[in-house]
Amino acid sequence: MAETKSSEPIISCRGVNKWFGNFHVLKDVDLDVMPQEVVVIIGPSGSGKSTFIRCINRLEEHQEGQIIVDGIELSHDVRNIAAIRSEIGMVFQQFNLFPHLTVLDNIALAPRYVRRQPRRTAEETALQLLERVGIPEQARKYPGQLSGGQQQRVAIARALAMQPKIMLFDEPTSALDPEMIKEVLDVMKQLAQSGMTMLVVTHEMGFAREVADRIVLFDEGRIVEMGTPEHFFTNPQHERTKLFLSQIL
Amino acid sequence: MRGRYTASDFYVAPLESPPSRRPPITSVGPLGWLRANLFSSKSNSIATVIMAALILWFLWSFLSWSVRSAQWGVIYHNLRLVTSGLYDRQEIWRMELVAGILVLLSGLSLGVWGRLARGVFIAVLVILLILVVVPVLAARVPEPTIYVLVEPQRPPSDFVFVGLKGQEVSFTFDPLTDAQDADERLLGFVESQARTEWSIRAAEVRAGNLDLGQHNLAVTLRLLDRQGRPLTSQAGSAVGDFAADPAGGALSYTLPADGWYVLEVRRDDSVNGSVGDNAGYAWIRVQGVETFASQEAAAQARADQFGQPPAVERALFADENSYRFEGARSVAEFFSLQVTPLFSRIVMPCFVGAALFFNGWVIGTLGRREKIVRRAVLGGWILSAPVILIILRGFEGSRTLPLVPTSVWGGLLLTILLTVVGIVASFPLGVALALGRRSELPAIKWTCTLFIETVRGVPLITILFMAKQIVPFFWSALSGLDLAIRMMIGVTLFSAAYLAENVRGGLQIIPYGQIEAARALGLNPALATTLIVLPQALRAVIPAIVGQFISLFKDTSLVAVVGLFELVGIVDRIVSGQAIYRPYQREAYIVIAIIYFVISYAMSDVSRRLEQSGAGSIRRL
Ligand SMILES: Nc1ncnc2c1ncn2[C@@H]1O[C@H](COP(=O)(O)OP(=O)(O)O)[C@@H](O)[C@H]1O
Ligand SMILES: [Mg+2]
Repeated sequence: MAETKSSEPIISCRGVNKWFGNFHVLKDVDLDVMPQEVVVIIGPSGSGKSTFIRCINRLEEHQEGQIIVDGIELSHDVRNIAAIRSEIGMVFQQFNLFPHLTVLDNIALAPRYVRRQPRRTAEETALQLLERVGIPEQARKYPGQLSGGQQQRVAIARALAMQPKIMLFDEPTSALDPEMIKEVLDVMKQLAQSGMTMLVVTHEMGFAREVADRIVLFDEGRIVEMGTPEHFFTNPQHERTKLFLSQIL
Repeated sequence: MRGRYTASDFYVAPLESPPSRRPPITSVGPLGWLRANLFSSKSNSIATVIMAALILWFLWSFLSWSVRSAQWGVIYHNLRLVTSGLYDRQEIWRMELVAGILVLLSGLSLGVWGRLARGVFIAVLVILLILVVVPVLAARVPEPTIYVLVEPQRPPSDFVFVGLKGQEVSFTFDPLTDAQDADERLLGFVESQARTEWSIRAAEVRAGNLDLGQHNLAVTLRLLDRQGRPLTSQAGSAVGDFAADPAGGALSYTLPADGWYVLEVRRDDSVNGSVGDNAGYAWIRVQGVETFASQEAAAQARADQFGQPPAVERALFADENSYRFEGARSVAEFFSLQVTPLFSRIVMPCFVGAALFFNGWVIGTLGRREKIVRRAVLGGWILSAPVILIILRGFEGSRTLPLVPTSVWGGLLLTILLTVVGIVASFPLGVALALGRRSELPAIKWTCTLFIETVRGVPLITILFMAKQIVPFFWSALSGLDLAIRMMIGVTLFSAAYLAENVRGGLQIIPYGQIEAARALGLNPALATTLIVLPQALRAVIPAIVGQFISLFKDTSLVAVVGLFELVGIVDRIVSGQAIYRPYQREAYIVIAIIYFVISYAMSDVSRRLEQSGAGSIRRL
């Protein structure tokens, strides 16, 4: 299954279980994500949302079940992991930009060293991406000289530079001042409109309502409810969902 | 209660915010700085005043000593030894060549990289200023003056010395006709038995018990070669009748061959008739010769070259007389006696060095935008290491570059070589050890830990002894290595262990998110380490690493214990081995301290600049 047809899921999780020591953090998680789909994951803190999406690019290893990404099953095979990681971009809550490199170098680094692109090509692409996230003028600065919102946009550009098929976002706006949240969400919306497959952990309900194709609610390591935004906001079924929504809205 | 509010409880700011004003004069500028830092409180003011007084007192004492009575000649007479140890005299040009290469490269680097390289360049320049001074090394060196006291109580001593072919030596005899004259001209130069004796005489003269003018002293001076054949003087007579000629006189010779000579000093009883009448005081000043502490010292130092020194009854050796200058000289004299001689030696090399440097700087500045020029300069530095070593060491049997074994390398040359090799070699080793200690493979982890902890648990001196003796015993291939190279290995291993711990400290402060981000981008562990983790970790521990390199630089002085003479070792040998320099230990060690300080300071300056330089310090995030 080298190429994916749009009718097949690009991410397919079957019965995924994971433990940290004795602590059962993911319990029988099943989830399929279609190409170009935007899935928003919500849920209380500590419910395993981060752990789940980190399993998808194997920053964490699951112990039971099956995760297939773009036709490749995640296993201990090192080459598989490298192949998967270059298909998946990830944006972290704490940005995790490389502080010793300029914005441009942050973005051009992986294309140059992983994709072996010549420096010039990588930098041109990087500049285009900066344009796309709206901060071309910051290219020569260091991450420490940017605001939080700008840093997160650079982080998005950095992930996009590898031309991934899937983007994972782990609470991308949680570390931001309120006035900067919008600029990051705007970039994400635009990305969603361009047809990117996205898996987004967030508490921004406005974003979920507007952009998500589906919303998934995690609680205590399992999926409690899954459905379209209308379903979620107008007609939630599970008690846990109603409670969660009542707390957050 | 709503009704209670009046108009003054409401306020709306004007549309424009007011312009910023300057702060009050007393809180900014030098005045504000003084107030804020030195005189902020009563106790602070008292501390400032006391400390300032202490520092001023110390500086004043030191400066007045160094200008008025210090004899810096001990260093500039021995520049060759201090800079290069026992490196062959005829091959000194190679050190000049090396210095030239380094100066040119530094100039180019300054031109190309501008400010960042400045610290490096200051360091190199300082080293060079000292290294470049080498040229004269082979030239003759005027030695400090020796005084032979002639007095009634005992027969005068002969004087044994070594001279080289073509060297000019002179002897000045100077009758002491009155106490003041003697005090002024001579007393200041001598501290020792002779001086003590003279001061007793001088006291008698002042008390009126002794009339110098009453004495009729006549002395014959002859210069004899090793076989006892007298030489003919170029100027002056061989006889000094001080009574007849109170102004004294001088003899001078151009020596016909290398070897031992004896200045024979005899009372000339034929002039004044009876032995009893021929008495009086005079100094005979001997200039421009190499002297020795004793007959044995003379034999030890020069017997290889010139055979045993002539055995002379009552020979005067420098040990019996200490030539410490004890008087006070004026600032003008300080310059003419202490500074000018040094400058006259270094002015030419400095000029050549400056010209080279300036050319390099101009070329570097013009070519800084060209990739080729930058690459060439970088390549030049990388190439310079082996090239320099080859130039300095040479080859067995070669005519142009005959072998100069590392065992004779010494002085500053050896110090710098040990340091540079230690730094350059221990850096990758230390980083590898640090990474190894964090490895997930237990075998590697434990081996690295064992090595690091063992080396850190043993004093450097032990490691140097091991490098000298035990290592060749275990590993016979090493026994053929030069001692200096074995010391480099010892110093490198020692430094690497400490460096590894410093680097590990840096690795620990890198947040795990950095590694995750790198992994998420698809970087493999090796790339993540070299591109993301190490650059940040190393930058964070620059001060610690440089501090450690500075102590490495200072610790190289320990190689003296295994018989190599680096800067401290060679200076120690100068002031303890050559009697005429024995009184000048203070000066010698002060100069060494200054050399060490300047180089260490330059190193920490580089570190500060590196830390502050562009590439985004981590602290900002
Ligand atoms: N590396 C780890 N080791 C042990 N426990 C962990 C680790 N990472 C997360 N956990 C625990 O797993 C649970 C789920 O964490 P996480 O996936 O970060 O939740 P969420 O992102 O939904 O807030 C939490 O209780 C957390 O304490
Ligand atoms: Mg989380």
